[in-house]
Amino acid sequence: MQTKFLVFIAFLAIAFVLLAVAASLPSKGFFIVLKFIVLILAIFSSILAFASRFYTYLIVPLIQQHSRHIVLSNENAYWLSTTNDAILSKDGQDFIASIIISIPLYTSSTEMSPEEKNAFAKQVGRLVSTTGYPMRVTAQLYVMNKDLYIQQLREKISLMENQEATLTQSNAPSKEINKVHGALAMWKKMLDNISKETSFEMSTFAMISARGSKEYEALNIVHQKAMEIMSGISSTLGISPSIVVGNDILKFIEPEFLMPYSTVSEQITKNIQEEVI
Amino acid sequence: MDEEATMFLAFTGLFYLIGFSILRDLGHGALGMLAALLLLLGFALVLVLNWADFILFPIVTRMLGVTFQPAANYKINTSQDAIIKEVNGIYYATGFVTANLFSYIFKLEGYEAATEEDRITKAPEIWERAVMSINFPFKYHVFGVGLDVQKIRDELEGKRSYQEFQLSRAIQGNANEVTITDIQRKINAIQAKIDMISGGEKPLATLMYIETTAIGVSEKAALDALATQINTLQIAFGGFDVDLMRVVGRELYTLFKFDFSLPTSFGEAAAHFDQQQ
Repeated sequence: MQTKFLVFIAFLAIAFVLLAVAASLPSKGFFIVLKFIVLILAIFSSILAFASRFYTYLIVPLIQQHSRHIVLSNENAYWLSTTNDAILSKDGQDFIASIIISIPLYTSSTEMSPEEKNAFAKQVGRLVSTTGYPMRVTAQLYVMNKDLYIQQLREKISLMENQEATLTQSNAPSKEINKVHGALAMWKKMLDNISKETSFEMSTFAMISARGSKEYEALNIVHQKAMEIMSGISSTLGISPSIVVGNDILKFIEPEFLMPYSTVSEQITKNIQEEVI
Repeated sequence: MDEEATMFLAFTGLFYLIGFSILRDLGHGALGMLAALLLLLGFALVLVLNWADFILFPIVTRMLGVTFQPAANYKINTSQDAIIKEVNGIYYATGFVTANLFSYIFKLEGYEAATEEDRITKAPEIWERAVMSINFPFKYHVFGVGLDVQKIRDELEGKRSYQEFQLSRAIQGNANEVTITDIQRKINAIQAKIDMISGGEKPLATLMYIETTAIGVSEKAALDALATQINTLQIAFGGFDVDLMRVVGRELYTLFKFDFSLPTSFGEAAAHFDQQQ
């Protein structure tokens, strides 16, 4: 029997017992107060019983933990499979393997005739129905990763600043100092410009999951499903979808990969500076 | 209401029915009225939980200051409308909004076929305009699962027969032209759906929603930025005429889990479809 039914029965049984106790208590003196406390507890228990339909996942930890911060799970939400092309998670005793399929769609409606637009919209509709399996198709807009470039610029600026300091201390000719000064200003401006404008990328991907009692079983099933879906997408849209592998998977599931760290910190610093000014 | 909801409501209702039937044992006069009031209040709360738990649940968690940890490094805030992750001192707040495009694309029974085509043709353009006006990361998800073709066909044929019966009654009863045209339009729309299925298209059950992530140097800053982003999304997707409702409570937790693993069968997925009409 599902946990939620057990929780429902348990709370409802408590509610009935408390109601019986409340009814059997005498209606005089101190017992009146006790009667109403028991009645309120019975009603509260019946509400909890009904709430178990949706909130069993919270009610049980809430009772066990007696804390305002309730830990539903202390484990990572997922882990990467050994095949490097799927993520795995656990649901009870079962393993769920999920694969992300990249769908390279580079079409714009501005280049289309009304008939083409209509056909394209219908094709996208068909994309979702390529398979009978539960599948999720996502269009994702995210910040382009300019971390590496920003890092290179920062290193260059720091190098130039060192050079400028060394030249100033060693009383080098002003021509050389000015040259370094100019280069430094250029790199700083470039860093300023690159972090001023946030560049975006748009990707489309499909996600599919499969359940198995063992990791490899879930992985095998999900691979089969993925192949089927990829051939469906390929024939519907005439493109070549591919399975996302390795760290690229993180781009589609982790929030911090939607906005790369350097870009974010630049943006936050800029916002704070603007607020101060 | 499905069978499970009916069962939960019936058994919980039984508690209140018994409560009212033993009202005399719970108290006489003013005490009896107080007991009746408490029982009525309890039952009202049960009904609210049944139809609008997404209103009641965040109120309770906000009052008690309860937060949840759905997985390591993630936190659901007290308002139950965002998932927060902290990475290197930067807070990422992720929120979800429903964005059911069915009312835009597939509201067949309300529109003429020509209008329908026109709306489908305009969809890619509206989508591109919406995406271009957004300057923060977001994901548009369409989760779909194939339905039993024969069952849906039978249902549609049943609906068509009913409308045909209505039409013959309207004609016999000398109904006005507007009523007859309206029924004929509905029959055409249902027929169009049957033709789509006959043409090889699979009927689908879908769940459509938008996920967006905001950043901040503190939890509050990230949550404020998230609220602004959601408002922007509501304006940007205004062209699609969709209701963008903020997802809260248990649905937020479900959608969070969808990022790492999807339902693997129709039965598993079906439980989620009553949440978005």
